[in-house]
Amino acid sequence: MAFNAYDSTLAPGADEPQIHIREITDDVLDFVLSNTDLSVANSLRRAMIAEVPTIAIDIVQIESNTSVLADEFLAHRLGMIPLQSINADRMKYTRDCSCIQACENCTVELTLNVKCTEDRTLEVTSRDLMSSDPKVLPVLSDPDDQGILIVKLRKGQEIKVNCLAKKGVAKEHAKWSPVSAIGFEYDPHNRLRHTHLWVEEDPAIEWPLSHNAVEEPSDAAYDYKAEPNRFYFRVETVGSLPPEQVFTGAVRVLQDKLGTMQIKLKEDDEPENNGFNAMGDPQDGIFNSQDGWNNF
Amino acid sequence: MNAPDFYEMFTLPEGVKKVAVQLDPKQPNTAIFEVQKEDHTLGNILTKRLLKDKRVLFSGYQVPHPLEHKILIRVQTTDEVSPIEAVRDSISALLVELSNIRSKFEFDLARAKAEQEAMGTTEGAGPGAEHRHIYPKDSGADPTLDVNVDVDF
Repeated sequence: MAFNAYDSTLAPGADEPQIHIREITDDVLDFVLSNTDLSVANSLRRAMIAEVPTIAIDIVQIESNTSVLADEFLAHRLGMIPLQSINADRMKYTRDCSCIQACENCTVELTLNVKCTEDRTLEVTSRDLMSSDPKVLPVLSDPDDQGILIVKLRKGQEIKVNCLAKKGVAKEHAKWSPVSAIGFEYDPHNRLRHTHLWVEEDPAIEWPLSHNAVEEPSDAAYDYKAEPNRFYFRVETVGSLPPEQVFTGAVRVLQDKLGTMQIKLKEDDEPENNGFNAMGDPQDGIFNSQDGWNNF
Repeated sequence: MNAPDFYEMFTLPEGVKKVAVQLDPKQPNTAIFEVQKEDHTLGNILTKRLLKDKRVLFSGYQVPHPLEHKILIRVQTTDEVSPIEAVRDSISALLVELSNIRSKFEFDLARAKAEQEAMGTTEGAGPGAEHRHIYPKDSGADPTLDVNVDVDF
């Protein structure tokens, strides 16, 4: 009867988590995660929102701004523009970099230099940003995308700014979040009674079922021992990273957190090795790096 | 302004331990783990996982203050195992679970993409199919950007 923490996860097949992807496009990933704990599902959600690194404009040097927007207003708008961040794993965080404020290992420079010379309104968009790195460009959803409007200029007005884009995570500022939203649901029929449905007369009429309801039977009797088991995710990205990389990145973040703690516990106490390579597979493509990920 | 610096969320100050273990003098087999620069993301999976271990009598965590980026994890075990070992076992189990999730995801991703490709060739349909390929497949310079660069200076 002695419980071995490994048994429940290493038993072949039986208790392994399952994933079914229902939809994958360039900016949406819809999947069902089952056979795992609510805490794991929720930590994955949290990691996807706040801890997967991307690149965003962080420092803006303003040479000339005669537009109607104040400098800080403009800088804020520039920061929110999503940049293609597939290269983020190869970049360093500036705080881990050997340079003082910016270098090519930790920074991408973008310039915006626009002047309105005609007698009509000129719209300055993210398409006008010139990047020093061809792989770190403002996100466009298709060739006809107009880009994101930054400011409008009238005749004679000018904007000349130099932006430094840095790697970061959304824990620091939401502009680094790779996702705009994550739909997260479990137990669509409320069989577990985790939700109290406020109701006037009939909950079946007043609380329409979600589209995930078709995935589960509705008629089961209330089981007070039951635990949530199937989790419905819908990850919607801002375009800086493809959604599958957001997910694998989040898994990687959690592995790093746990692995770091495992190693620190080992360092502190008996130097016994329990045979598990805590830092995950080294051939890992995306986040295999010397970039400060493991640098706690 | 007296707002704390953002970097305090991730950078461990010099000389501070990432994980400090303290045995509870009032209770047998009980330890409090003070983990710096972590939050609910780690605390919750770890304590919930520990509760699945029959040798663990108590596990819980708290974030003592929202401006101090640390968590306290309290673990009490039976005398079969020390709290540190129980935590290690739970971490290992979670790492196995996560790598399982990762490989299952990659497996199903290949299936889902193949299915959508097949759908795309017949009907061009499928939800969201109208805006595929945001990313230049060879990740070279984005050819779409050539169109816009002639702004009058």
